[in-house]
Amino acid sequence: MNLGKTARAASHTAKALGLSLGSIMAGAVMAPQAALAAAASEPAAAATADAAASAGSYTPMAPTPGIGMPVEGGIGFQQQFSKLGEYGEWIHNSVLLPIIAVITVFVLLLLVVIIVRFNRRANPVPSKTSHNTLLEVVWTLVPVLILIGIAVPSIDLLAKQYKPAPKGALTIKVTGNQWFWTYGYPDNGEFEVVSNMLNVPGQPTINNGVREVGSEPWDGPSHLEVDNRMVVPVGEPIRLQITASDVIHSFAVPSLWFKLDAVPGRINEKVLFVEKPGVYYGQCSELCGAKHGYMPIAVEALPRDKYDAWVLTHAGGKIDGQATAASETDYLPGEEPAGDASEAPAADATAAAE
Amino acid sequence: MATTAPEHFPAHSDDHAHDHDHKPGFFARWFMSTNHKDIGTMYLIFAIIAGIIGGAFSGMMRVELAQPGIQYLDTFAKWFGAVNPDFNSTLHVWNVLITAHGLIMVFFMVMPAIIGGFGNWFVPIMIGAPDMAFPRMNNISFWLTVAGFCSLLCSAFVPGGTGLGAGTGWTVYAPLSTTGSPGPAVDFGIFALHLSGAGSIMGAINFITTIFNMRAPGMTMHKMPLFVWSVLVTAFLLLLALPVLAAAITMLLTDRNFGTTFFDPSGGGDPVLYQHLFWFFGHPEVYIMILPGFGIISQIVSTFSKKPVFGYLGMAYAMVAIGVVGFIVWAHHMYTTGLSVNTKMYFTAATMVIAVPTGIKIFSWIATMWGGSITFKSPMVWAIGFIFLFTVGGVTGVVLANGGIDDNLHDTYYVVAHFHYVLSLGAVTALFAGFYYWFPKMSGRMHSEFLAHVHFWVFFVGVNLIFFPMHFLGLQGMPRRYPDYAEAYAHWNQIATDGYMIMAASLVIWFANIAYAFVAGKKAEDNYWGEGATTLEWTLSSPPPFHQFETLPVIEEVHHH
Amino acid sequence: MTAVTHQQRSNRKTAFIALAIALGMLGLGYASVPLYRIFCQVTGYGGTTKRVDATQAATVKDSGRTITVRFDANVARDMPWDFKPLQVTDTVSIGARDMALFWAKNDSDQTVTGTASFNVEPEQAAKYFNKIQCFCFTEQTLKPGEEVRMPVLYYIDPAILDDPDNKDVELITLSYTFHVTSIGDAKTLDREQTGG
Repeated sequence: MNLGKTARAASHTAKALGLSLGSIMAGAVMAPQAALAAAASEPAAAATADAAASAGSYTPMAPTPGIGMPVEGGIGFQQQFSKLGEYGEWIHNSVLLPIIAVITVFVLLLLVVIIVRFNRRANPVPSKTSHNTLLEVVWTLVPVLILIGIAVPSIDLLAKQYKPAPKGALTIKVTGNQWFWTYGYPDNGEFEVVSNMLNVPGQPTINNGVREVGSEPWDGPSHLEVDNRMVVPVGEPIRLQITASDVIHSFAVPSLWFKLDAVPGRINEKVLFVEKPGVYYGQCSELCGAKHGYMPIAVEALPRDKYDAWVLTHAGGKIDGQATAASETDYLPGEEPAGDASEAPAADATAAAE
Repeated sequence: MATTAPEHFPAHSDDHAHDHDHKPGFFARWFMSTNHKDIGTMYLIFAIIAGIIGGAFSGMMRVELAQPGIQYLDTFAKWFGAVNPDFNSTLHVWNVLITAHGLIMVFFMVMPAIIGGFGNWFVPIMIGAPDMAFPRMNNISFWLTVAGFCSLLCSAFVPGGTGLGAGTGWTVYAPLSTTGSPGPAVDFGIFALHLSGAGSIMGAINFITTIFNMRAPGMTMHKMPLFVWSVLVTAFLLLLALPVLAAAITMLLTDRNFGTTFFDPSGGGDPVLYQHLFWFFGHPEVYIMILPGFGIISQIVSTFSKKPVFGYLGMAYAMVAIGVVGFIVWAHHMYTTGLSVNTKMYFTAATMVIAVPTGIKIFSWIATMWGGSITFKSPMVWAIGFIFLFTVGGVTGVVLANGGIDDNLHDTYYVVAHFHYVLSLGAVTALFAGFYYWFPKMSGRMHSEFLAHVHFWVFFVGVNLIFFPMHFLGLQGMPRRYPDYAEAYAHWNQIATDGYMIMAASLVIWFANIAYAFVAGKKAEDNYWGEGATTLEWTLSSPPPFHQFETLPVIEEVHHH
Repeated sequence: MTAVTHQQRSNRKTAFIALAIALGMLGLGYASVPLYRIFCQVTGYGGTTKRVDATQAATVKDSGRTITVRFDANVARDMPWDFKPLQVTDTVSIGARDMALFWAKNDSDQTVTGTASFNVEPEQAAKYFNKIQCFCFTEQTLKPGEEVRMPVLYYIDPAILDDPDNKDVELITLSYTFHVTSIGDAKTLDREQTGG
């Protein structure tokens, strides 16, 4: 089904795009999927592309090395590109890390002092002290105070992370599958993007019909780059709704401080915010079977106008935001039988009564 | 608070034990054993064998992770019996390795060694009891653990979905473990947990009964050595936590084979409920692994500082507090499953509370050493190493406790680094400390102190090289349970693999030391650590007689103030 | 000799108490499944909606305030249905009854029976989301190629307006996932045939 949709999208893309390098590539990349879909004899694949013309265009953005991805030998967080990420990084680097470093060094120093001062030669007669109420109260209360100090920004961060998206926020639907991601855009005409990892040169083929990383100038790092990225508008809160079709996966993008499990049978929701245009990579973060390590996430954040242009490269892509009841026909190809409700299962009886 | 035995101690020594100290024949002694020391020895040997296998699996993982790309997994797949493995079944081997490594190290290495081994050996002796309360049940516990281990090993050779063996992770999350893993491998894995879990519950009942009912006259609860306290708290954790695991994995089993839908949304079940149940067991489980280690470290620190443990009651009740709080923090393993904000705030706060009793323990050990007259024998060096390494593991736990920070670190190598610092460098270091402390007592032969020190330093360097860089990998976003990774992660992974080689070399030194002890080791005296060692095992011969305390020792009141 | 039997007796007593505790925890483990379900239904935990009957629903008054409701539809991997909401979003009056329609089509050449699991996001809004009638209350069976429109009759409890946890909530999403319960004539799912 997903493949079918992409196939439609692909054929449409090829038609709509101009002569830019991007269009040629997008067609080439998607063509194998179209073939696959046809091979699977999905009925949807037979559906003809939307007749309505649209002015879409999209050239994948080349990622900036070291941005939105891990850096060789790095010892800290990836550079953050969201307000919450910057706040979280600040809590870690300026509150937690100094506190835990001081505690560890303090314990180490005490151990060194003990080794130097209280060895058998330096201190032949051991003291018999085995109680000191004041000391015991101090080392109970001081950690309590430290923890309260940590808890204040930590709880604040949690509260901010759970702030719901504002009115009119774009909703994107993320679905984890063994072993690829699909991204649905219900507010932009309900098209769906299938995202597979690019094959790694010199390694066994991971995804059939997908090119190797490095074959295009905009390809990102191996193990992280995908054929079709999740494209999002920059600088606005996006409501991500995440689910899975088979087992639990986890949608994670470290440079956007985002990680939320994709649980089959339910959706999880959280706000994603990207401050700057760019490509941000992540990887599935819940063990999901053999190719758990081969279903990365690539988020490409574009300014609104470019995002809209990208949307229009997809069959049925719409830029007027929220869908209305009038768009119902989009989902129901062909005429609706009038007697539909009566044929429907029991639940429909009430609807008819209503 | 220290306990002393009477001057004229009634224990039998080896040389005139022909009548009372009759040992059964080989088969009866080792296969139908009812002797707590023999069962303890068997547990230790079993744990060493399981540890070698689990450690070999981690070696295979580290070799594969030394560079990006897949280099060795297809070879490993063939070792497990796969014929011409395709790419998926090659990758499946990785998941089998991580699963088996976790399960073996938790259920068949640390728990048998620290509770079954040292607990069986020294709890009855330390409380002045002749044996465990239910010697035959003790034997059943051991053989159930062995049977469980066999079941787990069998699972590696039968189909488990995309390849041979169970590749679900030690957490066996549904639905990957149910609809996601057809084939009998996961059933064998679950059965392994059932068997060893039943053995552990029996062991827990045995320890609780022994400690409550079989203490020698005068050995009140508040005079028990801290190791006994730690095993008591651990036994209660086992008793309360393991049945919940048993229920959860039995439901997995029926979901897999009998069409129930406890964790399957298609029948109204919830896969997240499995995680709640698993971690309701799983979090106490990590304390099950570390608390007896706390007890061992307390004994050792006191012995070699020649001082009684500082703040004995605080130490004992800190363990009780850790045990109790351990039951109400489980969902910090599930921060990213879509918990509500209030749930996440509660678990953040509750989890941080654990740092308080843990801090009490660390500072009390330091205060015990403060003012002492310390001899740096091998157990003490391992114990000091433990205190430092456990502190490092503990403080990263405080970082991970924060639900908002965990959003970036969950299921990354930072978590792997954290729990290996508290377990691999914590519990295992405590195990080695306990081993050098008690090995001569158990075997009657002294090990080489020199080799024990070398073992420590090589091990210390090795494990830190393996696990410290994993913090960096985790902060940089490298997810757990990945056989392959982006080029940028190569640097620290290479160093971690180098560290593994050093750690493995340290184990060679350890085995050499054991061999040395049996071949050329001096005969151990009754109390080879001298005046600081005050618990009852030091009043017995080394090794202790087959049956000790046929007349119960009487514990005198000792005042320190 | 009496001392020994006394010791044995007290050992047995302690062991039985410990065993009882273990068995109690085992029972609690199993009991957690229904308890968790009840807990979720009562508190809305995990995004569980409430189910009310029509008479109860009739007592609720329209508050006049509106909120946007979004509808989301998914199918499990082995489910050969196409399943969509017929309206992506709907602006509804809080307290007033409303109906949403979903559409499903069996794309396979076999009769398929399915059930829908559901949840509401943001989670704190779930306990105010009341369903009067829903296709998720029962199993649904579709013959090969058959398509059907399925209604959900619901209202949002006006008490949501007084809940500080919900003051920022601008949009509530109701999500469904259809799972296979049986394929063909068989009434129960045989994993051997359909799994994988």
